[in-house]
Amino acid sequence: MSQAADAYVAPTSTGIDHKKLIMWLFLASDCMFFGTLISTHLLYRKLYPTGFTDAEGHQHFIQNLFNIELTSFSTFILLMSSFLMALAVSAMHKGEIKSFRRNVLGVIFFGLIFLGCQVFEFTHFYHQGLTIQNSVLGSTFYVLTGTHGTHVAIGVLWLVLLYFYSFSGKLGGHMGALDVEVAGLYWHFVDIVWIIIFTLVYLVEYLGPSGIWGSGLPTLAK
Amino acid sequence: MAKGGLQMTSFLQSYTRPNTTTMFSRFFSRAGLFAAPFLALLIAGCSKADYTVRKSTLDPKGPVAQIQYDVFMDTVWLVLVLFALVGGMMVYAVIRFRSRPGDDDKAPIIEEGHGNPLVEIGLITASIGALVFIAVPTLSAIWYTDDVPAESVPTSKLSAWYPRLEAGKEVYAKALEEQVLEIDVIGKQWWFRFEYPQLGLTNDAKHSVPNEMVIPRGKAVRINLRSEDVIHSFWIPKIAGKVDLMPGRKNHMWIQGNELGHYYGQCAEFCGDSHAYMMFRCEVVEPEDFAKWVQHQKSEAAPVAAETQAEKGKALFGTKTCAMCHNISGHYGAGAFAPDLTHVASRKSLAGAWLDNRNPKAQLAKEQLLKNTEQSVEVDRATLKANLIKWIGSSGVSTGADGKPTKDVKPGNRMHYYKMFNVVSLNETHQSFTADELDCLSEYLLTLK
Amino acid sequence: MSHDTHHAPVASKLDLAPERSDLGFIRPDRTTGWLDWLTTVDHKKIGVLYGAFAMLYFLIGGVEALTIRTQLIRPDNDFVTARMYNQLFTMHGTTMIFLGVMPLSAAFFNFLVPLQIGARDVAFPRLNAFSLWTFVFGAFVLNASWLFEFGHLAGWFNSFDWHKALVYTDFAPANGWFSYAPLSGTFGQADAATLQAPRFTGVGTDFWIIGIQVLGIASLAASFNFICTIINMRAKGMTMMRMPVFTWMTLVTSFLIILAFPAITVALIELMFDRQFGANFFNPSAGGQPVLWQHLFWIFGHPEVYILVLPAMGIVSEILPTFSGKALFGYPIVVFSGAVIGFLGFAVWSHHMFTTGLGPVPTAAFALLTMAIAVPTGVKIFNWIGTLWGGRIRFTPPMVLALGFIWMFMCGGFSGVMHSSAPADSQQQDSYFVIAHFHYVLLGGVLLGLMAGLYFWFPKIFGRMPNAPLAYIASGLVILGFNMAFGPMHYLGLAGMPRRTHTYHAGNGWETWNYVATIGAYILGAGVFLAFMNLIWTAFKGKKCASDPWGGRTLEWSLPSPVPEYNFAQSPIIARRDAFFEDKHGGRPIGYENDGGDAGVHMPSQSWMPLLAGAGFLFIGLGMPMMSMRIPHAGWLVITGLAVLFVGIWLWALEGPGGYMLKTPVAPVTSGQPSPVATTSAH
Repeated sequence: MSQAADAYVAPTSTGIDHKKLIMWLFLASDCMFFGTLISTHLLYRKLYPTGFTDAEGHQHFIQNLFNIELTSFSTFILLMSSFLMALAVSAMHKGEIKSFRRNVLGVIFFGLIFLGCQVFEFTHFYHQGLTIQNSVLGSTFYVLTGTHGTHVAIGVLWLVLLYFYSFSGKLGGHMGALDVEVAGLYWHFVDIVWIIIFTLVYLVEYLGPSGIWGSGLPTLAK
Repeated sequence: MAKGGLQMTSFLQSYTRPNTTTMFSRFFSRAGLFAAPFLALLIAGCSKADYTVRKSTLDPKGPVAQIQYDVFMDTVWLVLVLFALVGGMMVYAVIRFRSRPGDDDKAPIIEEGHGNPLVEIGLITASIGALVFIAVPTLSAIWYTDDVPAESVPTSKLSAWYPRLEAGKEVYAKALEEQVLEIDVIGKQWWFRFEYPQLGLTNDAKHSVPNEMVIPRGKAVRINLRSEDVIHSFWIPKIAGKVDLMPGRKNHMWIQGNELGHYYGQCAEFCGDSHAYMMFRCEVVEPEDFAKWVQHQKSEAAPVAAETQAEKGKALFGTKTCAMCHNISGHYGAGAFAPDLTHVASRKSLAGAWLDNRNPKAQLAKEQLLKNTEQSVEVDRATLKANLIKWIGSSGVSTGADGKPTKDVKPGNRMHYYKMFNVVSLNETHQSFTADELDCLSEYLLTLK
Repeated sequence: MSHDTHHAPVASKLDLAPERSDLGFIRPDRTTGWLDWLTTVDHKKIGVLYGAFAMLYFLIGGVEALTIRTQLIRPDNDFVTARMYNQLFTMHGTTMIFLGVMPLSAAFFNFLVPLQIGARDVAFPRLNAFSLWTFVFGAFVLNASWLFEFGHLAGWFNSFDWHKALVYTDFAPANGWFSYAPLSGTFGQADAATLQAPRFTGVGTDFWIIGIQVLGIASLAASFNFICTIINMRAKGMTMMRMPVFTWMTLVTSFLIILAFPAITVALIELMFDRQFGANFFNPSAGGQPVLWQHLFWIFGHPEVYILVLPAMGIVSEILPTFSGKALFGYPIVVFSGAVIGFLGFAVWSHHMFTTGLGPVPTAAFALLTMAIAVPTGVKIFNWIGTLWGGRIRFTPPMVLALGFIWMFMCGGFSGVMHSSAPADSQQQDSYFVIAHFHYVLLGGVLLGLMAGLYFWFPKIFGRMPNAPLAYIASGLVILGFNMAFGPMHYLGLAGMPRRTHTYHAGNGWETWNYVATIGAYILGAGVFLAFMNLIWTAFKGKKCASDPWGGRTLEWSLPSPVPEYNFAQSPIIARRDAFFEDKHGGRPIGYENDGGDAGVHMPSQSWMPLLAGAGFLFIGLGMPMMSMRIPHAGWLVITGLAVLFVGIWLWALEGPGGYMLKTPVAPVTSGQPSPVATTSAH
């Protein structure tokens, strides 16, 4: 079995496996991708610091909209999933397939919790009146966090497929560990991006008495 | 260094006789035969008239265009020198080092090319030096064209030239004394609206100026650029380079016309179907004439004589819904969306300055006689009437005399295609006109001097 | 259970036993004919396919260009309508950049990079095939807009209900290749029911958005692959500073692609959300900033210019040393300047926006940076001349075209220096002067470079020699026609003729030179057509030639022509730059690893999955604009596409890499026929 699994591997000039290298390249590209999205959001936050107006004409401020406790919780969950992912990769390197399965299930579970929080958050914000159509803030916020959520969902799907694939007996050896490691790289990246989003989109809204946007927590104009 | 030197010496020694029968030489002598008439045409085609055409950037008539032209010429001279040096070096190398019979017998050059650090660094330094030569005038010109000379040129301040009180009526507020004249340029698909807010010529006041702006000679004018739909760009090649009208941004520039005349401008950013038809004119007049022009723009349309075609046309202007969009002060006051027609018959152009209301032959003759494209003949009544009929009547939705749909003068224009704007209530009201109606309508518009 | 990698070595893939993948499907390894081309993972065949599609689209883009020039041959012409003209220049620009130059460069990357670094394939052969098919389907989606447009003009849709509901009927994109918002976007408030805001342009823009998006995916996938290949698959001894310059430029270009394309990807996503879901990224009525589109577009768009130019520079850097009989002058500087151009390429984007009212400080900064980027570009030209200096210059079609490249590129570079001066640029921006500038760079520069490359490597690709006299005639026509078409445009621009205008009045003094330019364009078109015909004829009927007809310097010339599917019978070991040149002239010989022979070399298995996954984009790409047309159930087409894409990738992952062992001749053969130049080296 291991012979079949250890498919033909040509030596590489750098000693880094092709798959790992291409994943790093993809992540470099994805950095620019998220960088552009985050810049768009921040540019518009700077330009229009006052939040949005809902369908009834009420002015809302983003700080009043955010549920920072919930988002902190989901951030923590995502961080922990990264920890489990590291354990899964390490288990795979040691060939402990059962430990791998256990940990990867944990990652999937935590990933789903994160996605659940995001779905809840989106629904909550929508009912508060924030939509893609009614403000620039809605557009940038939903598209940025939604794109990240899509990344998480793709990661969960990938790990689910890996999990079931591990029962086929073909996931093993050097190539198997590599496959898991590459998935792990992706997962960690998505996690790091979330930490940046959490900081720049959520936390900075609360900074300082006057706030980074120069408006702080404004009083609602009646 | 030594290596390159060695190679050169070996080639100097190997230089025995020029070989003129290589394929390359034949190729180039043939290419030369092809190119010769082209070059002759190029040289023959150059004359002063080519540099002073209507929209030439090489014939600046104001300080902004002048400095842009000067900086451009700096780059031209630099580039010509570089072109002669680098191009000459290349031509020399190609001819001097072409292969000769007997080269095949020589040992191939198998050293690795290392370049020559001294040559490389020298050339890089020289390039940077050459760029500094254009960087300095570039930087100074960037600030010169951006800063409106309100302070530095006191003669441009309104107080210095524009009569504040005219016949006991205040024309502009005292607070504006220290300012230069400001013109708001509003871009729309596909025409320009000009407003002079300090002087009360605004759309809100029912006195806006479509497509033909007028500026006083020798005075700096601040231009505020605004767009109501897509991006447009404001360009009068002989007076100033372009600045865009960005929706959501407040751009500005300044211009000054130093010579009297009729200047040709155009939108220079692609803005949809009829972008090519989005033009405007700029008249530079003496300051006294400018004040008179402002007074004229503020006047209302004269009453129309009874029992004339014009009177029928005036009625049609209302019933055919023209007045919903077009303002004619004194006659119809509801329109705010489309060009103000109060003085349409006094304008030298129509339909976004695409249709020229002057006699084209007379105009060309005058330009050629005076060797100056800024000299303009007056509006020709027959041409204007023909233009009005063509413009109002000829759209894809109306039929011509032959019963076929007429050709669009301006495809997609809002007068004939307001459907584009999803104005649902107007969807079914495409207007078509009989020849008689067009005649009356144009007679009416012709009275609006 | 299959044992995909460990069968006995075979002499030909046709001798393989039918073999099942991990999924139980029979692998398409033994296919021949068109099935072989559809399932191939061989980088050389993929390169040829890229080249063939690129040439097809060059011709389509050329027809569009000639139609444009025909319209402009005289003032107040009405050969085409205003809208058709706008569609033509939009599609001409998009086609030439994304479907002409980029895939033709990709053709060279594919064919040459593994050969030049002594590898047997790219790092991910199936991903490479996926890039190709994604490009093919993306290109089709973009051009499908023409089919809808012509169908609409011919009245084919008049009986359909959805057609009556259409508000916007421009099916082919009419927003320019830059698609500036808000012209490409929305205005006003989104409709509560459909969630869509009114738009300035029709579904053509949706075709454009999804087409570019798909092409971007193809480019990204290919670039990841090439970087991986170049970094990881170099032969022993092939250090980075021994790599051929073309390979270096491929590396820089690929990095530019992976770092620049995300910006346009995000911009396109945002624009798509604006149009399809009523978002407000670029909608000025809701506070969106159209200038943001320009920033995002040009952060991609300017590196894109270097993505187009650098491969041609790499090609010329290979051709000049070959025909000067002399190594490239200042190799490290040429490589370094390529990398510097890559870096600086990201720092000059706003020079496309000098007229948007950036303010004096950013304008000054970008003007200076733009001047700075002229330095590494100039360095390349100096080094090319240095290469000619002291050489023995042989004139062949590729060499003449390469020299033409330098000359035209130099002219284009010089007018570029004129643009870098922002005040001068404010007169030139969006005028024909700019058209002249970038056509000198992209047509006189890049196209001549790529044509030089085609003539240069065609003998390697097909083992046949292009007809030289015909090549000279075609090159002469191209150079003459090109200068006649675009030289006068410098004047036209300075005389105030604006770009993207479908007609102009008599009396502006533009008549003569527009006429000359149009005649020049016809000559240019004839030249390009003749050149392509010559190449197509060469591919099938050209005179057979030796493996190293030009006296090449890099590793690909050490291989027989056409190159066998395993490339190197034994992997080379490299001791210096231009190792093959030294080897054949009695210097240090190239060493060879003890692989290949009867033990065989590993060949990747062919696969249907890249084609299947790529086909998903066809459904997505046609479905999105159809949704915009409000064609009932068009959304299902998109969902089908996503499903096909997912299933394709899933099956691809599960089928296993496969592979088989192919026997190779023990001694590497350096030429199909004995040639006086290429000698079999001893080892």
